[in-house]
Amino acid sequence: MHAVATGLLLLPLAMGNDYVLHMLTLWALYSLLALSLNIVVGFLGELSFGHAAFFGVGAYTSALLVMTWHWPLWLAPLSGAGLAALLGWLIGYVSLRIVGPQFAILTLGFGAIVLTITNYWVDVTRGPMGLSQIPAFALPSWGWDFSQARHMYPLALLLLGVVLYGCHVLQHSRQGRAFVAVRENPELAASVGINVFRTKLLGFVVATALAGFTGALYAHYLRVITPDVMSLTYMSAMLIMVVIGGKGSLYGPVLGALLYTFLLEALRSTGAWRMVVFAALLITCVVFLPSGLVSLWRRRKEATT
Amino acid sequence: MTTSPLLEAKALSKHFGGLQAVQGVDMTVAAGEVVGLIGPNGAGKTTLFNMLAGSMAPSAGQLFLEGEDCTGANAHQMAQRGLARTFQITSVFAGLSVWDNVFAATYRHQHANWLWAFFQSRSYQAEQAQMQQRTEDALRSVNLLHRRHDSAQTLPYGEQRKLEIAIALACAPRLLLLDEPAAGMNPEEGVKLVQLIRGLREQGMAVLLVEHHMRVVMGVCDRVVVINSGEKIAQGTPQEVVQHPEVVRVYLGREAVHA
Amino acid sequence: MLFLQQLLNGLANGMGYVLIAVGLTLVFGVLRIVNFAHGEFYMLGAYATYFAMSMAGLSYIPALLLATLLVAGLGLLANHFFFAPLQKEHEFTMLLSSLGLALLLAHSAEAIFGADPKYLDTPYADATLDWGNITVTEQRLLIVGVASLLILFVYAFIRYTRMGQMMQATAQHPEGAALTGINTRFVHSYTFALACALAALSGALVGPTTMLFPTVGDWAVLKGFIVVVMGGLGSITGALLGGLILGVAEALGGSYISMGFKDAIGYAIIIAVLLWRPQGLFTPGARR
Repeated sequence: MHAVATGLLLLPLAMGNDYVLHMLTLWALYSLLALSLNIVVGFLGELSFGHAAFFGVGAYTSALLVMTWHWPLWLAPLSGAGLAALLGWLIGYVSLRIVGPQFAILTLGFGAIVLTITNYWVDVTRGPMGLSQIPAFALPSWGWDFSQARHMYPLALLLLGVVLYGCHVLQHSRQGRAFVAVRENPELAASVGINVFRTKLLGFVVATALAGFTGALYAHYLRVITPDVMSLTYMSAMLIMVVIGGKGSLYGPVLGALLYTFLLEALRSTGAWRMVVFAALLITCVVFLPSGLVSLWRRRKEATT
Repeated sequence: MTTSPLLEAKALSKHFGGLQAVQGVDMTVAAGEVVGLIGPNGAGKTTLFNMLAGSMAPSAGQLFLEGEDCTGANAHQMAQRGLARTFQITSVFAGLSVWDNVFAATYRHQHANWLWAFFQSRSYQAEQAQMQQRTEDALRSVNLLHRRHDSAQTLPYGEQRKLEIAIALACAPRLLLLDEPAAGMNPEEGVKLVQLIRGLREQGMAVLLVEHHMRVVMGVCDRVVVINSGEKIAQGTPQEVVQHPEVVRVYLGREAVHA
Repeated sequence: MLFLQQLLNGLANGMGYVLIAVGLTLVFGVLRIVNFAHGEFYMLGAYATYFAMSMAGLSYIPALLLATLLVAGLGLLANHFFFAPLQKEHEFTMLLSSLGLALLLAHSAEAIFGADPKYLDTPYADATLDWGNITVTEQRLLIVGVASLLILFVYAFIRYTRMGQMMQATAQHPEGAALTGINTRFVHSYTFALACALAALSGALVGPTTMLFPTVGDWAVLKGFIVVVMGGLGSITGALLGGLILGVAEALGGSYISMGFKDAIGYAIIIAVLLWRPQGLFTPGARR
């Protein structure tokens, strides 16, 4: 099963259509981002509206470290992830104590602050104009330039595979089981020995680190980054991917990212209406299919066994 | 009993503003002993129970677990020290399967972290096998193994209560606190519950139960502690307590606790 | 007298926020819904006024009234078809659905009205009153005046009318209210329509002081949340005080620190409040 899927995914490389490869690379990167949000929304069950900020922090940090402070390229994305994780720790530490809709509003507020700072700290971030000419990863001796889709796609796919495996392991690990226990019944979780707050914080930090890392990959691939990536639009897009795909599942976010990337592109000619379509899909899924599209496939599988 | 008690409460008190819910209660539970906590509604049993379990901090007094002072320890800390409890209102992980519900409770016995899991190290795999065994044993002891793939929320009430007990057992506690375990059970289930608790006692577990079903209390408790208006008014064997004049006075004329 | 000028500007802006926040807090108090789509009714109120003036040729005040009625009606529909059926669902579901509705409305507006900003021209927007060094546009005075009257009206309505008391009862104890014979579904519809009307009015009043674009609802609902969280979910007095504080803090902060960070002030306040006193600055939980 996995071999077939991998084969199918690698096929476009043989066909060499750069446009399709670019779309697929974006899909892979968005999948990583959606998987990171899934840890918070799906595994922990916390509705965070500030996640886009960590994506942006990772992107900007990595780009700036390389461009302004001349850090080596291989170190920058890890540092981007690190700073995003640190910020995630700070924000998580103060926010995760709050339950209910106030958590969503609080994270929304934090996200908005990060966006505002990025927009107005023009000296460092160049404000709304963003950063461009970001150096790409490259291995010149092998002729690999990772700002080209045909080189970036396999790398992104590989990373996606690794992260998917990591999430799979997480689901069965001690910490992963603690995450969902906390989501389902915090009081009961505490009574079996789980430190609820520390568990939530751990999940939050892991998620923000992954988001930051993905942000860095995104920045060095597209070579352009603007504060837009931290906007409510991007945040909504992320939520749409996770919720429509299937929150709390392994492949749900990947499926959601696929739907988002390709449907968005397919509907490009309809302009603003395409977001209306997604909004309608979001509502439909939230109301009628709370476990996302992935659950349809799962139901079919159960019906045939 | 000459052995030192597993759980010891000294002068435990709790007040909420002006209301004194529990006042100066001393009690002990020893390993291999089943202690019943009874009293009329509103007597403060639940508050006392919650203090013993760590989900409520006492206003005064001390709590010792195996001789160590754990006054003010919170719920997960008490759990880490080997205490397990059930809840008055059925409490399970609703969205998870029966198996996953119980597996989650093996948390405090797991030490492998994610990195070992990532590389499928042998110690991780060994630990997983151990935990699976624990989970299976816990489910088997409450006769829920055949339901292990079902979602917890699809279980009928009685089976959810059994699941709760399985969750508590999977923690492999040294001290088990049961909050009205027989509530809503028919006499047949009550008998099975008594057998289960007797089995646990034989294994050396200390058990404390809050209960209204007198048949269960009489049938399984070695000692009974009676609480009224936040104070301990009597303790002793079930037979002694039932004849205690203060206890009789408190229960006389009220809706008798049903057997 | 820069300070006084900024103070007055802040109060005017603040009253605009109050109108948005009162609706939001009413909906939470009575229906127990955190409505992300609330800002969209603000946006629709502004756009409806714009089109009533530009296409139907109405003058400002009649356009404003028409817009308010239309949006209140739209609110009734939204509640009937969308929020009421979801009442029993988990909080998470409600939050995400209202987000979906917000996106739906904002992007439909973008698709239909276009993304380019529009300017709502009213006879009051340019006319000013001067006292010494202080200048206030008549529009701002209108905002303060109308909003003040509305707040008084809403307060009196809830306190003294039968419907108002039913709203209070439903807010304090939904099951109990239903048991005493109150038609809670009707109360819900009424409250929702009232909330949307207030949001629409705010849009029509505040719209002329800035420009209109389809995503202005996101901005409005965020301001609304900040105020409501400050004042306490469900408290009208809290919304009033919170809105004024936010407006003044932004105006003063904006002029003395930096214009750019004006918005960040609101976010910083909300964070500080949620961390220090999550139930709000002015609630002990009772709604008025």
